[in-house]
Amino acid sequence: MPTAEGELTILAGVELSVDGGAQLAIVGESGSGKTTLLGILAGLDLPSSGDVWLDGDRITAMGEEDRARVRARCVGFVFQSFQLIDSLTALENVMLPLELRGDGQAKGGAREFLDRVGLAARTTHYPRQLSGGEQQRVAIARAFASRPKILFADEPTGNLDTHTGERVANLLFDLNREAGTTLVLVTHDAALAGRCGATITLEAGHMKHTA
Amino acid sequence: MTTSLVLRFAVRDWRSGELRLLLAALLVAVGAVSAISLFVDRLQRALVAESTSFLAADRVVDSSREIPESFRDRARQQGLEIADLITFPSMVSATASVEAADTYPRGQGKAVADNAKLASVKAATRGYPLRGVLRTTEQPFTPGKVTDQVPKRGEVWMDSRLFPALGVHVGDSITVGYEDFTVAAVLASEPDRGGSFFEFAPRLLMRAEDVPATRVVQPGSRIGYRLLLAGPEDGLATLKDAIQEELAPNYRWRSIRDANETIDRALGRAESFLLLGGLLAVLLAGIAVALGANRYAKRHFDHVSVLKTLGATPGEIQWGYIGVLFVIGVAGSLLGLLLGAVVHLGIIGAIGEFLPVALPLPGPRPILVGLATGFICLLAFALPPLLGLKNISPMRVIRRDLAVGVAPAVTYGFATAGSLGLLVWYSGSFFLTVWALLGGVVAGGAFASLALLLLRGGRVLGMQAGSIWRLALAGLQRRYRENVAQIMIFGIAIMLLLIMLLVRTGLIDEWRAQIPENTPNHFVMNVAAAEAPAVQTLLTQKAGYEGEMFPMIRGRITAVNDLPAVEWRRKIRAERRAGGPQGRGGPGIRGERNLTFADELPENNVVIAGEWWDGEPATPSISLEDEYASNLGLSVGDTIAFDIGGLPLVATVANLRRVEWDSLRPNFFIIFSPGALDGYPATYMTSFFLDGTEKRFLNELLSAHPTITVIEVDAIITQVRSIIDRVTQAVELVLYLVLAAGALVLIASIQSSRDQRLKEHALLRALGGTRKLISGALASEFAILGLFAGLVAVVGAEITVYALNSQVFELGTSLHPWLWLAGPTLGMAVIATVGYLGTRKLVHSPPVTVLREV
Repeated sequence: MPTAEGELTILAGVELSVDGGAQLAIVGESGSGKTTLLGILAGLDLPSSGDVWLDGDRITAMGEEDRARVRARCVGFVFQSFQLIDSLTALENVMLPLELRGDGQAKGGAREFLDRVGLAARTTHYPRQLSGGEQQRVAIARAFASRPKILFADEPTGNLDTHTGERVANLLFDLNREAGTTLVLVTHDAALAGRCGATITLEAGHMKHTA
Repeated sequence: MTTSLVLRFAVRDWRSGELRLLLAALLVAVGAVSAISLFVDRLQRALVAESTSFLAADRVVDSSREIPESFRDRARQQGLEIADLITFPSMVSATASVEAADTYPRGQGKAVADNAKLASVKAATRGYPLRGVLRTTEQPFTPGKVTDQVPKRGEVWMDSRLFPALGVHVGDSITVGYEDFTVAAVLASEPDRGGSFFEFAPRLLMRAEDVPATRVVQPGSRIGYRLLLAGPEDGLATLKDAIQEELAPNYRWRSIRDANETIDRALGRAESFLLLGGLLAVLLAGIAVALGANRYAKRHFDHVSVLKTLGATPGEIQWGYIGVLFVIGVAGSLLGLLLGAVVHLGIIGAIGEFLPVALPLPGPRPILVGLATGFICLLAFALPPLLGLKNISPMRVIRRDLAVGVAPAVTYGFATAGSLGLLVWYSGSFFLTVWALLGGVVAGGAFASLALLLLRGGRVLGMQAGSIWRLALAGLQRRYRENVAQIMIFGIAIMLLLIMLLVRTGLIDEWRAQIPENTPNHFVMNVAAAEAPAVQTLLTQKAGYEGEMFPMIRGRITAVNDLPAVEWRRKIRAERRAGGPQGRGGPGIRGERNLTFADELPENNVVIAGEWWDGEPATPSISLEDEYASNLGLSVGDTIAFDIGGLPLVATVANLRRVEWDSLRPNFFIIFSPGALDGYPATYMTSFFLDGTEKRFLNELLSAHPTITVIEVDAIITQVRSIIDRVTQAVELVLYLVLAAGALVLIASIQSSRDQRLKEHALLRALGGTRKLISGALASEFAILGLFAGLVAVVGAEITVYALNSQVFELGTSLHPWLWLAGPTLGMAVIATVGYLGTRKLVHSPPVTVLREV
């Protein structure tokens, strides 16, 4: 990336593969490039060089339009800042990915997942009427509602207190296990990373350690 | 994205309040435009209907020759209504009426009754008038009732003043030429009373079919023939084209615009003004739409990036938002039309009593204009910010600083093209559009520089101010880009409102000045010198008359520059044929003219060549009306010999005057210097105001002085004034609609910057700023913005009003000192109030809530 101080390399020499159903944690300090890596893996962003294959597609060779279709087909997200659409109710937020797919049963599917995260009673509430933990549970319901093959989670507990964070993490791993989803998790929380099958550590854009 | 999903998105966005501002802006745009269009359309139809009554038709063919039958045939082929008029002067006398003698105070039996009077006879066919109405009554000088008849064969209707003059009553018999007629009614009013205001003789209305029996029409008689035409515009146009070649030079085709200049000017300017109003309403609403769409787009940056992570493609996003826009467009336009219809009905209800009984139904144009306005507004003002949404990176879900807008060139390009297209199409007036846009562009550039200067200056001053003001000024300086933009928007809104206000005030003042209250509405002429004091006394006592009597002396030109008049005319004609300066119309050199003398230049006259005399010149001097002089080939310095009652008088042309013939005051082609006409036999004339309820005074006046002539122009004045009043109301109403659009822009603009301001102030509160400090700082910020915007607006308004007045409305103009105080004060008060009210709720909620919401 060109900057005023010359070329800035954010990621370099990252090479990894994640098997279907596996769980990978990406850890590292702030600014180590883990969020950028997540974005590139999920096809939200493109690397200046190199290739990414996602569910059999070489997404680095695709345009934005096609990458969006790949995401619609097989990717789910959970973000640190929840990223619920605040003009929509909890139920509508969960329905969104199903609706985008043209799923006729969006409402039923969404209800089912809201029920699974324990928010069946809060379907008509707007995000601002929910606590942080509840919002993240809605986000998890939304992520799983479209039954993705791969789930990308960016610091899913980063904005929550320890206790709530633990409950949300449990929910995430439980649902993941049930659905057999591949999980790629970015965190700087060693305990959370420890619950994944594999961990890579980034330091200043380079892969340092794989476990 | 599927249609149902788009619809659901639109509904959800609506429910969450995000689309309300956009829809409201659209509603006002379409509502204002369609209300103005509907009202103007119907009003114009009504005004045209009203003003055509001055002609008693839509068009008239005028001639001193008989109207060829072919004209009538062609008119019938076009499905036009026709009626024929023959006008001629004739002596009228009472056939016999002994009883009448007792009823009139000074009527000395047959002595008065036998007096023959000159009447202006109008002979009409059935169907006259095609436009406007006739009113008749049983008693002279009483208000009339509308009738749809014309006199029956063998009957006549007469002007009130013929009754005392002839000493007759309704039912009596009178003689015109060789034929006797029964007086069947008093003619109280006729729509086309004065082709010129000086048809001196009172009216007698009879049937055209009776004219031959009177045997007054002889070769050489002064007869006017008129073919009245009414019907659809295209039929009239086709007819005109068809008979075009046969018209010249003996037949004149006249429309209302030729008939009365005052009305023509009032109508022309009113149209321009209403168009200007509609145009400004569109512009203001366009700005509001753009602001609403911008805010909507900004609030959807996150929304879009989330949708993208969920797999929505850029294409789907783009079409999805265009779909939402379309839904809003349809809803806004339809609701706007409804609003427009309701508002325009409200207006008609409010001023209904002044309007003609039935306004014609509107054509389809206003509805089309309204619908198109809605969609063009959306395309030009709302689409560009939304087009940028598809480029939002999905990475924004992780890194919020990634915002992609649409290139400014695209936004401004769309907005400019949209405004231009809309304005030219809507106003149909390239001139007006260019002036308004030019005003906008110049103002925009100047405003930006001025606003920046003010902000910078304010910051320096603010260093010394108390904490609230310092905070406010620092806040303004920090986001100077946004604030310059906001000052411009406020400034333009206030400027447009000021422009409307100033132009409207100028127009209405000008109209009112044309026909002030108590304008003389009666003329008295042919007052003998011996009777003048008595008439003056009677007028003073009974009609509150305060003026002077004008001497009026009949005289004829006998020679110009020592050439006999006939030879002078021949010389001038020869020069014209050889390509010399052409005449501009007016009476010829022969024939008697009314002469007068005056110390001072009469009101409404302007000297355009030579100089008005000071005191009494050594030799007799004259002042000539400009067009009259040009027609006779006369200029300053020429000497003219007159024959006045058999006595010769030679005078030099001292100056030429332009005369406003519509001024409804006595006007003269030839005015002598004072003293020049001393000793010549004069009669006197004057004009006076008489209230409609005092009309019976005329009976008294004419009975006491049967030889004088009274001319009533009150009906004409009332007609002109009622048209001007209606136009004035329309103009005021449009002003209110534009005000509403302006208010919406203010609200939209405050809304659009609300989030950013609140976020900052919530942070301040979190850091310990008191509620009072924050409210104070917010209100001060808005007050300062309003002050600056007001200043900027006044500058823009003065410039634009100057341009508009001089180029479009042809009005005089000057600076408006009061505006320089009122503009900034108004801006400060309004924007501080609206801004404070718009943000008050959130200032009073806990900072956490605010931070979470914005």
